[in-house]
Amino acid sequence: MTNAIEVEDLRKSYVSKAAAAVTALDGVSFTVPAGHIYGLLGPNGAGKSTTVKILGTIASSTSGHARIFGFDVARASLDARRRMAVVLQQTASENLLTIQDNLLIYAYLHGVSRHDARQRVKHVAEEFEIGARLNDTVQELSLGTKRRIQVAKIFMLDTPLIILDEATTGMDPLMKRRVMERLRLEAREGRTILLTTQVLSEAEELCETIMILDKGRTMASGTLQELRKRSAQIFRVSLSFADSTVNLEGLLGSLNAAELQVKGRNAEMVIHGEQASLLAKLAEISRTVTIQRFEVRGPTLEEIFMNLVEESR
Amino acid sequence: MNGVSAIFYRDYRQRMTNIGFVFWDLLAPLAYLTLFGVGFERMMGTAPVVSGESFGYTAFLVPGVLGMVTFSVAMNTSWGFFMDKESGIFYEMLTYPITRPQILIGKIGFNVLLALLGSVLVVVLGRVALQVPVRWDLLPVQSVVIVIATSGWFFLFSTFAIALNRMDAFNTVTSAAYILLMFFSSMFYPLDDVPAWFRFLAYLNPMTWQVDLLRFAVLGVGTLRVLLMEAAALVAFAAVCLGFAVRTLNRAN
Repeated sequence: MTNAIEVEDLRKSYVSKAAAAVTALDGVSFTVPAGHIYGLLGPNGAGKSTTVKILGTIASSTSGHARIFGFDVARASLDARRRMAVVLQQTASENLLTIQDNLLIYAYLHGVSRHDARQRVKHVAEEFEIGARLNDTVQELSLGTKRRIQVAKIFMLDTPLIILDEATTGMDPLMKRRVMERLRLEAREGRTILLTTQVLSEAEELCETIMILDKGRTMASGTLQELRKRSAQIFRVSLSFADSTVNLEGLLGSLNAAELQVKGRNAEMVIHGEQASLLAKLAEISRTVTIQRFEVRGPTLEEIFMNLVEESR
Repeated sequence: MNGVSAIFYRDYRQRMTNIGFVFWDLLAPLAYLTLFGVGFERMMGTAPVVSGESFGYTAFLVPGVLGMVTFSVAMNTSWGFFMDKESGIFYEMLTYPITRPQILIGKIGFNVLLALLGSVLVVVLGRVALQVPVRWDLLPVQSVVIVIATSGWFFLFSTFAIALNRMDAFNTVTSAAYILLMFFSSMFYPLDDVPAWFRFLAYLNPMTWQVDLLRFAVLGVGTLRVLLMEAAALVAFAAVCLGFAVRTLNRAN
């Protein structure tokens, strides 16, 4: 299978006048097969946007290689750019022009013919619910609507790769969902999607493969299942007790939960440790108080993420 | 649409959102020519001499005002990079499948047309209302000089507009350039009678090369050998500035 993105040992350092050199990327490598949805996750300053800027040919790397469908982004940047549409983290719109001009000019600048561009405007405007506002000037719009137009623009194109840097920030939940559904559809039709996000549920729902970055380094990567295995000693435990008069905080103290939430007869916990030891402790508790229901699940992406980031600090 | 024509179209749409600004670009030089030309001609009494030929001050000033047209259009166009940075489109544009030179050439394309229109208006006003002896047969030369000079100034100012993050710093650069480049040139006075050091500096100035070429194109005066050297220097200036602007775009982030 062809790889849409190949990143090898990518490093980026910024020289700042005020401080010592800042390492934004420290040897990041990953591969995205064509047709996949790949997520880059990490806190602020993790290196996600720097990776996107290097792939988008806006910034150059200090060392390492990045290729888009085999084209090196530094040496064959135009060939690489012909194969991608990029939504940057920063809002980008032609503020003095109308929504229609924004969509058309974006398409023209990507080599779409006038006829095709006009046809596509209709579909995109309908899908993103901006049909009635096509003649509005962008500077009059809210930040969320500007963001919607910025994302809508990429669907004016057929580029095989879409790169989105925290693209759904500022969008209303309904539009977010629509964008996610559309991205899934595009991937099914063979387009490759690389997205960065801090919204872990978004990555969990959308991405086939996830890479977690922190301080420019790869913390973990793999499918959600693989990441769960990596964090096999984190458990989310839900318990319901028959007796509502028991002091649950005291009773569950022996479990040393990383997180504990008690609501009436129910308790939710995140526990780090051996599965056998956890089950033994739960059995011991059940001898004291009747447990009506219990559920032990693997960690959510957020828990994996928090665990990895905390481990590294 | 190819990259250059798409950027050209974008800039045309942008500029048309503020017709007043376009009119000002076109009308300001006419006002300069009328007020300065007529005013100084009456005040000075004597006529400047270029290459042994004497002209009224208004005629002498026409090429200088054409120089102002190219300079102003180039400055205003490069200032647009700050608007593009503020709206974020500047950075997004760097991900588009167009080359850096295409961005710059497309961006100046529509504005070169404005400069050409402005220069025609200046020459027509000079001939019809101010009796300037315009050489219509040299109009193509004038147009070529306007295109090269507007582009060259734009590439120069773009280098600063792209590299600088603060608009006030850019304004300082352009204001200083405006004063120094215009006054250390043959724009307002013949260089024959100025001190030697002044003349030396003036001949290092692309504005002098441009104004001398335009003076030839409008009035038919100048020394061929000097004009050819100035033409070559002006082309080299534009090419070098394009190189600097492309390099700065490549390092924009």
